[in-house]
Amino acid sequence: MSPASPKRRKLDHKPVDKVPNDQDHDDEASDNASSIEEYAPVSKTRPAQAQSKSKHTGNDGEAALYSGGLFKSSAFKFQVDYLLEDSRPNYEKVFAKANETLSKLKSLIESIDSRKPLSVTEATKSLQKLHKITIPFPSPKPDKDAAYKFSYEKPSNINVVGSYPLRTISKVVDAEYLPSIDMVVIMPASILQEKDYLNYRYFYKRAYYLACIAAGLLEAIQDEFIIKFRYLNDNDLHPILCLTSKPAEGKAHSRYEINIIPAAPANFFSKSKLLPSKNSVRPKDGAEDAPLPATPFYNSSLFSDANYEPYLQVLHSATKQSEAFRDAVVLGRIWLHKRNLGGSLSRGGFGNFEWASLMALLLKGGGPKGHSVLSPGYSSYQMFKAMLQFIATGDMANKPFMYDCGDVNISKSDAPVFFDGPRGHNLLYKMTAWSYALLRDEAQISLEMLSNETFDQFEATFVLNVSESLQRYDCVLRVPMSKRTPASSTDCDHFSPTAMHARRIFSVLSEGLMDRVKLIQVATSAPRKWSTKSSVPTLEEPILVSFVFDPATVDRAVDHGPSADEKSKAAKFQKFWGDKAELRRFKDGSILETLVWNSRTTYSIFNEIVTYLISRHFGSEISEEMIFIGDSFSKLVPFSDSGSKAFDNLKQAYLSFEKDIRDLEGLPLQLRQLSAIDPQLRGSSTLPPIFGSSTPLKTPANVLIQFEGSGRWPDDVVAIQRTKIAFLLKIGAQLQEANDAIDTRVGLENEESKFQNCAFLDVRYDSGAIFRLRIHHDREQTLLEHILKDKYTDSRTREDAILALSSYKRTFIQLPLLTQSISTHCTRFPLLSPTIRLVKLWFDHHMLSAHINDELIELIVSRMFMLPYPWRVPSSVMAGFLRTLMFIERWDWRHQPLVVDFTGTMTNKDVASANTRLEAWRKLDPGMNRTVVFAASNHDVTGVAFTDQGPSKVGASRMTSLASSAYRLAKDKGLSLDPRSLFVTSTSDYDFVIQVSPKFSADRKKQAASTGKYKNLVVQSEGSFEGVGYDPTQAFISELKGAYTSSVVFFHGAGAVLHIGGLWNPQTVSARPFKINLAYATKVSDGQEEAEPENVEIDKSAILSEIARLGGELISKIEVNR
Amino acid sequence: MAPTIKSYTVLPLNIPRTPAFPKTTTHAIYLQPHAPKILTEEDSRSLFLVNIPIDSTPAHIRGIIGDLLGAAGRVEDVHFEGEKRKPIPSTDVVAVGSSNKKRKRGHEDSSIEFDEALPEVWDRPLHRSGSTAIVVFVDAKSAEAVLKAIRKIHKSGKTNKFPTWGAGIESKVPQLGSSRYINHHELRFPDVHTLQMNVDAYMTVFNSKEEQKKREDARKRNMPDEDGFVTVTRGGRTGPARREDVEEKRIEMEAREEKKRKELEGKGFYRFQVREKRKQEQGELIKQFEEDKRRIEKLREIRGRKGKV
Repeated sequence: MSPASPKRRKLDHKPVDKVPNDQDHDDEASDNASSIEEYAPVSKTRPAQAQSKSKHTGNDGEAALYSGGLFKSSAFKFQVDYLLEDSRPNYEKVFAKANETLSKLKSLIESIDSRKPLSVTEATKSLQKLHKITIPFPSPKPDKDAAYKFSYEKPSNINVVGSYPLRTISKVVDAEYLPSIDMVVIMPASILQEKDYLNYRYFYKRAYYLACIAAGLLEAIQDEFIIKFRYLNDNDLHPILCLTSKPAEGKAHSRYEINIIPAAPANFFSKSKLLPSKNSVRPKDGAEDAPLPATPFYNSSLFSDANYEPYLQVLHSATKQSEAFRDAVVLGRIWLHKRNLGGSLSRGGFGNFEWASLMALLLKGGGPKGHSVLSPGYSSYQMFKAMLQFIATGDMANKPFMYDCGDVNISKSDAPVFFDGPRGHNLLYKMTAWSYALLRDEAQISLEMLSNETFDQFEATFVLNVSESLQRYDCVLRVPMSKRTPASSTDCDHFSPTAMHARRIFSVLSEGLMDRVKLIQVATSAPRKWSTKSSVPTLEEPILVSFVFDPATVDRAVDHGPSADEKSKAAKFQKFWGDKAELRRFKDGSILETLVWNSRTTYSIFNEIVTYLISRHFGSEISEEMIFIGDSFSKLVPFSDSGSKAFDNLKQAYLSFEKDIRDLEGLPLQLRQLSAIDPQLRGSSTLPPIFGSSTPLKTPANVLIQFEGSGRWPDDVVAIQRTKIAFLLKIGAQLQEANDAIDTRVGLENEESKFQNCAFLDVRYDSGAIFRLRIHHDREQTLLEHILKDKYTDSRTREDAILALSSYKRTFIQLPLLTQSISTHCTRFPLLSPTIRLVKLWFDHHMLSAHINDELIELIVSRMFMLPYPWRVPSSVMAGFLRTLMFIERWDWRHQPLVVDFTGTMTNKDVASANTRLEAWRKLDPGMNRTVVFAASNHDVTGVAFTDQGPSKVGASRMTSLASSAYRLAKDKGLSLDPRSLFVTSTSDYDFVIQVSPKFSADRKKQAASTGKYKNLVVQSEGSFEGVGYDPTQAFISELKGAYTSSVVFFHGAGAVLHIGGLWNPQTVSARPFKINLAYATKVSDGQEEAEPENVEIDKSAILSEIARLGGELISKIEVNR
Repeated sequence: MAPTIKSYTVLPLNIPRTPAFPKTTTHAIYLQPHAPKILTEEDSRSLFLVNIPIDSTPAHIRGIIGDLLGAAGRVEDVHFEGEKRKPIPSTDVVAVGSSNKKRKRGHEDSSIEFDEALPEVWDRPLHRSGSTAIVVFVDAKSAEAVLKAIRKIHKSGKTNKFPTWGAGIESKVPQLGSSRYINHHELRFPDVHTLQMNVDAYMTVFNSKEEQKKREDARKRNMPDEDGFVTVTRGGRTGPARREDVEEKRIEMEAREEKKRKELEGKGFYRFQVREKRKQEQGELIKQFEEDKRRIEKLREIRGRKGKV
């Protein structure tokens, strides 16, 4: 025991955690094997932890420099430290009695009686009869008249392995599973033969051995544990016994599982015979002369059973070699877990064990000229990142990675190989082509975000759940299991029918979809545990295929195949595509095999192709039962098919409008620039700007015009506003004169404020396009600032000037910049525009348009595209929308600013200053009565350009609570989510609801296209401007807001709304002493008739009746909820 | 309902039901004799009204007074809160189109009225909830009579005797509801001629005022005051410079100096500068470190509270 003690001390102090379900086999050196009781949880104080603490408390200067170098940033380091600390479970509590149990189990197993050699039939019968246990033989089941015999003898060794002895269980990862302890039972060599590696014989014996252990334990421990069989890592060659502790009363948290894993003795089977290129499953009707196909999966499954101990040593020496190794292992585990990657077949075959072993091996070698890839001096973060780098860069599927081995011949396949020479094992044998692609993709994304210097990426790396299907993927396909047995292939390797089916689906789809998709994932469901009494359950659950689109190519209507001259390629193409392939001659004279798809929209083309492929290769009965999930979101976007064209049309019209303006010759000042500031001109309005000569644009598109500076402007804000009117009149007259197709009118606005812009020019083209022109004069800002600086300005003027200044900055400075950025990025990211529009629709349906303005929504959605981590840029509306919801749900706007970097030019200093500014705001105004949401961008570091007029705290909180309930719904429903359910308006939360008369709130969708809607009303504006910009409900709402600023908070959608919700300001509801300047209607409080009444309270019914009078026939009803 | 609160008399108005809100309600107006801080000749015959309905017009107020006193016409004028105290044509609220124009012209000569209004875009004003108004009667007796009449009804306890809001004046005021917004939509696009006249009128006044100011400044510069001092005004001999020009110049100068200073410092002219700079950089790094630590700890605390790890 003496060699064990120094080792253990090393272990104890390491703050490592985790890993439940996917058994890792990392474990204590074998010399600890006999001393299970020694694994008793050791004191929690860990020297290493204390050490690291002192690093950042003791000498801050040094620590700062230190962490800046070894970690991404000091903030990152702190978060990593806390993460590791938080994920450590309380061993004393959870595993209070574990050691006792383990040694009990050990002696129980050791005392099981030997069984004499029996034939297959005898063995099955005896266990069935005496213990009612069904032996979990893998399929194909053993031959009844096989010559070999099964027997049981005392195990040669029993060892506790995995995360428990290493103290590497993590709460973060294991919250969803019970923590588990792995116990390896090594079968004695005496009951095995060297030839057992062939034709499943080892696995049959292993199954029998396991069943014998089960039989021996069943009686003794069934009061304490639920005993079931289970597949280790979903591999049906590896059944194991799983003991789940029965919940003790009042101790729900102290449950755990013990896995009993039979294993082969090390060095018993020949390494060379089990190389991935060798065949170990002989075909029955084997033609002797043909070369036998390789069975890499079978071989590796067998060999992994014999490799528990060697890997244990590798891991163990790695922990001794590098201090940071364990932390890096834990970081890797958390990272994998958040991406739903695991060691089991259904989770991709790359789990904690693979991560840890790979890292341990790379610490020792793997680099060029025998150097190691990782250095023992790395910090945990550096090691973690270097691992990602290793995974991300090399393609181990195309070029198998040979670790420290001579000339080993590896048969070519699409699955990755990391061949560990000294142990003769392919570490990645459980991975498939697709799971490897996913792993690499995730590693690449993570690397990318970790090299982002500007923003902190801790959450994206270690906290956010990346694997939520509908956010991760653009489309999910449910394919029923094939009922036809797959045509017997020449492949002898061991695969379950489901795995076979999955592989075929993957290869057909990836060949057929070509570059339309970036990623295809095939998910099979994981087999469950089953009772020792029953036989192995069979799986009938459908296979899920998930796709990530390439937005640039996914909707391509024509595919070009090989040229007709390349005979063999063309024949292959024809065979794959069948009738769909046709020869076509193209303009450049080439004659190519071609596929033409008839559908129009992204999803319909995609669905058409997939349906065709599946029905051609798997039969129509399967393709008919397929279910596509994902396109219903894009259908919710208003005018999803024609929308983008409408935006293009308006942009064209805008360009010709700009030209018309530039061509004007008689303008009094020289034109500097014209800038668009309208959502319709940046592709982000909910309704697309559909217009035609008989159906003019309903809402004019806002445009700014700026002239070169001139001394002829008056030097007074009010006078400037009036001068603008004269300018506009002049421009209007000239435009009309220059072009017959133009009609203009000057309108007035902001009548309540003399400092703000007071007039605009509507310019209508006969084509139906309408622009609203406002003049930008940059002197306004200086003049307004002067008014504010002036000590003698009275408070009312000052307030007016503050409002005017904020409106000036928003309209004339920020909006043009935002418009430009959004419109550029809408071109760059095809999904940005529809996503913004859908998110706006969502806000609209939840009556938040009054609080969350268009610009804020656009900033939020842009954030999902500019900084999409931990994913890539959304390539479907679904992903974009759901990620946005998740972002809003998580966004703690009380403490976190929103920072959007449109140009990628911001630095971490900018972000830090945004944080500082937000903190300063909060210090200044802790009640958040003024600025609530802080949304900065590279254009606006002040962060309040679009948010200083709202949302209020109420509005922002409502946004968060709606987003979180929507997100929760989406998460709970998973794939069965009906997106429409996220858009259902609820009015029950409001104190009262004003129902708008149907005449004025007619179907919103029609609203965009229809014009004649208001013909029955007498709008007597000049002929064809009729109804343009006329929106009675919104005018009504804005009057309500003006009249009841302090007493009612209104909620409503955009455009012609159906309902307006109202909440009484809680501060006004209670009675208070009468005074004359209460800003709401009051009545004398009841209940004080006797005494002299002094108090008044808000007069709700008087207010409601005022609203009813003001609304007149506009509203049909006011419903009072409470 | 209590007849008074503090020094105010409570006048509960009966509000007729509407289709959208089919409930009869009351709306309390509080009245008392007008007693402003700056006294005027009208005070003795004025009443101060608090908590008037948002849709009040002089016609409404007149209607109520008429209801209380039996006959209308004793009201000389009604001033609402926030309204400019300029003579309102006494007959009714007129705010539309052409009449507006006339009013403007009338003002042109009195040049001091700087705030030339734009054409009115609403056919009838709306008040903020709970605002006030002043009613000026033809004589002090009427004002008292109103309060007396209210008290009398309170005493009798017959609440239905209280005036009804808007009764009998439907034809005198523009309708609310959709027609209000249709009118608004129409009014906000005045015809070109009207607008041009309005702007011209404004600019004339503005220019003459500017001119006047300039003359004033020039005069001040030359004229000693009673004590024999000459006021120094901006602009010197050549004429008053615009305040902003001065400001700009100053900023420019400052920037130039700043630049010069920076240049010298940036070069690390002296060794102590280099040393200090390095020290400063290190200090910043440490500060950042501390800052991060504090922030992360705070975040963690908040998250912990919310149960998110």
